[in-house]
Amino acid sequence: MPVCSLCTEPAVVYQRYINRHLCGTHFTADVELRVADTIKTRQMIVPQDRVAVALSGGKDSTALLLLLQRLLPSWEDVRLIAITIDEGIAGYREETIQSAEQLTGRLGIEHHCISFTGLFGDSLDAFLTGRETQACSICGILRKKALVVGARQAGVTKIATGHNLDDEAQSVLMNVFRGDLPRLVRNSSVDSSGKFIPRIKPLSLISEKEIATYLMLNDAWSELPECPYTRYAMRREVRSMLSGFEYKHPGTMLHLMESKKKIERYCKGSVISESLRSCLECGDPCSGDLCQVCLLRQSLDR
Amino acid sequence: MRLILSDRDVRIFEHIPAPVEQILLEQGINPLEVIVSRNGKLLSEDTVIQASDEVRIIRIAHGG
Ligand SMILES: [Zn+2]
Ligand SMILES: [Zn+2]
Repeated sequence: MPVCSLCTEPAVVYQRYINRHLCGTHFTADVELRVADTIKTRQMIVPQDRVAVALSGGKDSTALLLLLQRLLPSWEDVRLIAITIDEGIAGYREETIQSAEQLTGRLGIEHHCISFTGLFGDSLDAFLTGRETQACSICGILRKKALVVGARQAGVTKIATGHNLDDEAQSVLMNVFRGDLPRLVRNSSVDSSGKFIPRIKPLSLISEKEIATYLMLNDAWSELPECPYTRYAMRREVRSMLSGFEYKHPGTMLHLMESKKKIERYCKGSVISESLRSCLECGDPCSGDLCQVCLLRQSLDR
Repeated sequence: MRLILSDRDVRIFEHIPAPVEQILLEQGINPLEVIVSRNGKLLSEDTVIQASDEVRIIRIAHGG
């Protein structure tokens, strides 16, 4: 049986890229160290920050909250809260919301819940009737807005989301497939305009499999349902293609992220990175006359 | 060796001893999309599985 490269315990993972075996304890420490390092080098969290974790109750945001809670003592005067968005997806959201409530209760973290019905007048299920194929983009726009409303109400300075390396690499590829260069180079982690709350992604260098492993090892794994709308999503195809590539050619996902970074650097200050304006309808920061939410409301006739 | 993919999908795997990775590939599973455990303990992909083992494969669902 393979043994940890750092002690004599049985190995639970093999890190192929550096030819290293790790036991549960050393793997957990490794993940926490890498997340702390990402946060530090990218200055994601600074003293006096009030950080809201976007907690869906699924695996990524659960791992994020656990990790930030553990790292909290190493930062000066930082507070953590959690915000859960209830989109209104029958047969899926109930369980994950329950899981989010249990987790914040156990960790003693302030928890806010915002529902689409309360904010937009109806559930996602209702908005999507006859438009199921657009589920992820419609939900994404509304969820982002709901999160900002929740974050403003709670008075936070940062919004942290559970996006992992797989998610980020998939997004790079999808933006390329769609020819959406502005979205590819958009960076919402810093705010020089004072118009929006910076969004940080502390897990962006941790793979999906590493997150699942971390949760298993820390007794926080639960098998939850998958969102019923994912079957309509292009992301699902990209996900399976990309993980096939990553398996055959280790490092593919990191290379995609490096490509994105380089393109960002070349595009800095060019016309591609659009300037910020205010929505004529609601005043939110946006790139055109109307923000995404107001455009969507118009097209949904709500 | 018993290979548990879910409560409803239990397979018997004959070509043993074999490493976890090889067993997954033979089942058409990408090792990056699952985690594998034996008696509740996680296994690295190069762990060799014996005839008497019962191995559980947990799919990592997207989202969260
Ligand atoms: Zn060890
Ligand atoms: Zn607007």
